[in-house]
Amino acid sequence: MKTSLGTSFALHSAALAFALVSIGAPAPMEVAPVEALPVDIVPVESITQIQEGDKKAPKAEKSAPTPTKKPTNVPDAQNTGDNSVDLKSAPVPVEKPVKTESAMAPPKVEKPMPETAKENNEVKDVVKEETAPKPVETASLPPPKPEVQQPTPKPPEPTPAPTEAKTEDAPLPDSVPLPAARPKPEPPKEQAKPVEKPPEKPVEKKPETKTAEKTPEKKPAEKKQETAKTTKAGDSKFNPDDIENFLNKQDAPSSGAKSSTQTASLGGKKTTGGQSLSMSEMDALRGQIQNNWSTFAGIEGLQGMIITVTFNLDEGGNIVGSPKVSSTGGSDTARRTMEASARRAVLKSQPFQGLPADKYDTWSEVVVNFDPSEFAL
Amino acid sequence: MEQVALEAATHDVSLWALFMQAGFIVKAVMIGLMFASVWTWAIVIDKYINFAKAKRQFDQFEQVFWSGQSLEELYRTLADRQNVGMAAIFVSAMREWKKSFERGARSPIGLQMRIDRAMDVTLAREAEGFEARLGSLATIGSAGPFIGLFGTVIGIMTSFQAIAGSKSTNLAVVAPGIAEALLATAIGLVAAIPAVIAYNKFMGDAGKLSARMEGFADEFSGILSRQIDEKLQPRQQAAQ
Repeated sequence: MKTSLGTSFALHSAALAFALVSIGAPAPMEVAPVEALPVDIVPVESITQIQEGDKKAPKAEKSAPTPTKKPTNVPDAQNTGDNSVDLKSAPVPVEKPVKTESAMAPPKVEKPMPETAKENNEVKDVVKEETAPKPVETASLPPPKPEVQQPTPKPPEPTPAPTEAKTEDAPLPDSVPLPAARPKPEPPKEQAKPVEKPPEKPVEKKPETKTAEKTPEKKPAEKKQETAKTTKAGDSKFNPDDIENFLNKQDAPSSGAKSSTQTASLGGKKTTGGQSLSMSEMDALRGQIQNNWSTFAGIEGLQGMIITVTFNLDEGGNIVGSPKVSSTGGSDTARRTMEASARRAVLKSQPFQGLPADKYDTWSEVVVNFDPSEFAL
Repeated sequence: MEQVALEAATHDVSLWALFMQAGFIVKAVMIGLMFASVWTWAIVIDKYINFAKAKRQFDQFEQVFWSGQSLEELYRTLADRQNVGMAAIFVSAMREWKKSFERGARSPIGLQMRIDRAMDVTLAREAEGFEARLGSLATIGSAGPFIGLFGTVIGIMTSFQAIAGSKSTNLAVVAPGIAEALLATAIGLVAAIPAVIAYNKFMGDAGKLSARMEGFADEFSGILSRQIDEKLQPRQQAAQ
């Protein structure tokens, strides 16, 4: 027995040693470390209710207003925009500045036309010629042109007296810019009028160029000038260099001072705080209408009738426009009666009290369902 | 905090570490089961050797016994040795026979009864020797899993208490405690399974050897009773 006990003990120690060495430490399972995911419990209302965003922008996962260009300066800004003062609505009317700009842009187009033509790579030589006749044209049309030419002959006259000339030279350059400044504002005034009618532009230019052709009397140059005309006409229609003049450099009319960095996406004007009307507020609204709803018990054909009244409210709780009434189910006569009573009830119960002003977005349009089937016989 | 707990939980999962992490009761259970396993295998080895030897001796003895050799001579060669099994039964029967005849037994019936009883006693003693310690095998086989389970339950209780204490249900915190607790059941099964198998096998072997001894005892009893009749009849006739 002792020998067998010893043998058994030896065998066990051997097995244990083997187990400790070979299967002692199992290879640790290589599991990617699981990071704790922060989970926020969000009430459904914040998703289903109107979020602040841009009404015209495409729908996105998260609604955001149009991005502003600078960070906010106003700490408690409520409305998104670039203004330094937090305003509720855009202060500048949108249409008027557009008109002034359209009036401003054309003169720039016509006046710089020759200048921009100089810079054009296609016909540099011709353009120089054009610039020369151009003042002639402008001169031919308006009177100031001779004024420009007059100062140039004047300098030779005072040359004999150099000391005087210096004194005279000083007034002369003064006089030179003056006429130069005059004609420039003058033609635009004349040309600005035709500019207001855009289709007439090319018609007017053509005669001008014709007069220009006549004055220089250079036939070989005509072709070049024609090309110049085409470039001119092309420029008048579309010139990439002039795009900046057409661009609306004024900032988009934005009202608020709150900054928005996200891209614009569909949403309401203002976040409603993720709130819908609470049950008590809805009950208050319902109660106001119900008090004014006189029903006639005993009318036949009310079974399954639902009258839906849709109306818009202003911020004072008054109905804007007339409420729309539609109904389903029931008999025609009963429906007509009940529609009238529902409309009367809604109109009678305005102004609605107890609606929170900060949730105006949610109750600006109210849909009330009347169910008169309770009174059915 | 959580990372610290993770490191502490995953730093060592080897068997030795699991054993060392275990609580006092679980450790005691595991050590006890280890000794039970050692004892089981000691018995298994001992029985295997003993039974093989007994079987060989039985075969040798039967060969010699039925070889037509004189019983007196066989007794003389075996009397001085320490005999096991069939040889022991033969020697005890022959000794009783010799004693009876040396003192001049009168009754053949009384002599037969004494020889049978001597053989029964020897047979019982030998059978008891064969079945010795098989009972402990049965005990280990039946109780081992329960003892291991006890250790497991205690270990899991401890680990759940630890979870409650650390306030973390991270698997890395729970797993080592459960693994260490399950180790107790594993050791219990390691001890119990061979014990059960060995118990069933050696009980069968012991039964076979006992049956063989009983068969020999009956046969030898028949031979001796014939011898008694043959030897006592001439004396009775002479007396008459």
